[in-house]
Amino acid sequence: MTEILIAIFGISMLYVSLTTRIEAYINVLALQGLVLFLMVLTDHAGMGRFSLLFLGTETLLFKTIVIPAFLTYTVRKNGIMREVEPYMPNFYSVLITTAIFAFGFITAFWASSHAPNVRPLYFGVSIATIITGLFIIISRKKIITHVMGYIMIENGIFMMAMSVVGEMPMIVNLGVLLDLFAAIFLLGLFVSKINTEFDEVHIDSLSNLRD
Amino acid sequence: MIPIILFLAPAAALMLFIFRSKKLNAFMVCLYAFVHLACTVLLIFYPISFGRYFECDPLNLYFLAVLSVVLAGVSVYNVDFVMKSAVDSLKSTYYSAAILIFAASMSAVVLGANLGLMWVCLEATTIAGAYLIFYKEGKEALEAAWKYMFICSIGIAFAFVGMIFLSLACTGSHPSLFFRDIYAAAFTYNGFWLKLSFVFMAIGFGTKAGLAPVHAWLPDAHSEAPSPVSALLSAALLNSAMLVILRLLKVMKLGNLGGFASVFLIVMGMLSVFVAAVYIIRVNNYKRMLAYSSIENMGIITICAAIGGPAAFAAILHTAAHSFSKASLFVTSGNILKRYKTKEISGVTGMLRSDPKAAWLWMAGFIMIAGIPPSPVFLSEFLLFKAMFTQGLWWLAVALMLLLTIVIYGMASAMFKMSFGNAPKDITDEKFNMMNYGGQIVFMLILCMLGLYMPKAVSWFITNAASML
Repeated sequence: MTEILIAIFGISMLYVSLTTRIEAYINVLALQGLVLFLMVLTDHAGMGRFSLLFLGTETLLFKTIVIPAFLTYTVRKNGIMREVEPYMPNFYSVLITTAIFAFGFITAFWASSHAPNVRPLYFGVSIATIITGLFIIISRKKIITHVMGYIMIENGIFMMAMSVVGEMPMIVNLGVLLDLFAAIFLLGLFVSKINTEFDEVHIDSLSNLRD
Repeated sequence: MIPIILFLAPAAALMLFIFRSKKLNAFMVCLYAFVHLACTVLLIFYPISFGRYFECDPLNLYFLAVLSVVLAGVSVYNVDFVMKSAVDSLKSTYYSAAILIFAASMSAVVLGANLGLMWVCLEATTIAGAYLIFYKEGKEALEAAWKYMFICSIGIAFAFVGMIFLSLACTGSHPSLFFRDIYAAAFTYNGFWLKLSFVFMAIGFGTKAGLAPVHAWLPDAHSEAPSPVSALLSAALLNSAMLVILRLLKVMKLGNLGGFASVFLIVMGMLSVFVAAVYIIRVNNYKRMLAYSSIENMGIITICAAIGGPAAFAAILHTAAHSFSKASLFVTSGNILKRYKTKEISGVTGMLRSDPKAAWLWMAGFIMIAGIPPSPVFLSEFLLFKAMFTQGLWWLAVALMLLLTIVIYGMASAMFKMSFGNAPKDITDEKFNMMNYGGQIVFMLILCMLGLYMPKAVSWFITNAASML
């Protein structure tokens, strides 16, 4: 069951690199939140009852419902155009993401020979997700897609933390604090100082400070 | 003492929101800073831990002492800044509360005995710091705050991945994030995961410590933040992130991977000095110039720590030397900004005529940061080069000397040009009160003392801290 969930998660990342619509990104984030919630439910060996409750609520409420709803609202309110405006054609984007996934799996199998307690599928997909998130931040122009890329990195990290939960349950709970940053970014966009200060919500407008 | 340092700040911040008066805001930050200083002195003599999560050892007491002195000096300057600022009392309250939380969370990072806790507190400094950087509002401040938040939070996410790897490296049954347990068990850790974890954490915490190539937020944040905040960012925040890196280096040494960690840190450190040297000769904004100098000095501290041996003493001494001189320079840059209303180097001339006190402090600060005797930076850099030559790293030493010469040339040409010549006519000739200079004078006196005649007790304190590296 967990394997299927991880596969769905991985496919969602490939879909992100393929699509150009912001709504699709938001849907993917909601889907990832749901997948993480199901993962917490199916794979909670070693987690205390309190952790289970906390992580379950957090993934379902925050990652699946609140963040996507907030993003949708922000996109509508700020009148952000639907396209994500990548710096490069989608074709290359897909190629690079595929390469990242290949790299992730190779690393995971290589790493699993060093440590028996690493599960290659878990590890590979989460490494690939983290790097793909970084790639999305680098290759897309809009500030809001940067925030989405950050949330994807964070989902990848959450999954990676889940894979070691048997050893250190505390660490997953700590990782949830990263959501705090995501919340503050969203709040920043929502309160919309960014939008009123800069005409376009492009990263290009964040280049006044330089030498 | 530790509970007072940690919990007085939130309590004071709450009280500020009840009264919302500018006078109280300024006074409260000052009061907290001096209570902090008193507690630190008491802690040095009676190191009492607070639970398992906050512990004192010679290394973090030293960092706490540096933080405390910087905070006290800056808070004195901050009084005039808050009283004369043109914002309404609510915003001034937000500002002061953010400073209190920022200071308390930095102290918590320094005093933390658990990696997870230190990580959480660094996150708190990021959030409080972002508000402080945004304080002046407007396009530039927003850009700086956004970059700071975004880059640092990605750095912090990387550090978290490093923590996950650290728990994988543990071969025992119960991985722990307490440094005491990590130190004790480090030699049993799996080398592969330990290396991977160090790389991720060095990059992650290095982002907060301002090391190249992940320093991009630093010049923007330091130049856009109000001057007391720039001083705190540069002289206190960078150090607290550096402390985490120093502790991780110790873990690597105990895990018999000291060589790997040293090479990694030396590369980052040299890169930082290189980046600073490249930018510092062409930047036309004196606050950015100081920010690049911070990157350079953080690089030097990293190199000192990585080289080890006698250079460990240099790393510890350099931390204090850099913090005090940089805090003084940033606060003085606030005086210059108030008088000249520009951050451009080309717009400032004749400081000696318009504001002799600031000009002398500015030049004295330069002497201290450039490592010209009586500066303690001279001592620490001398020890570093000595350690490099004895270890046969003479080519590295020569490269570092060249880069440092470029940095000093860049700073000297800008800072002396600002001090001499005729002042422009349209600047204000308002007299600033002594609050604007007092902190810097104390910093300079402490630096002279460290450089010329180091009392036995201080030298013992530094040696003890260095022995923890």
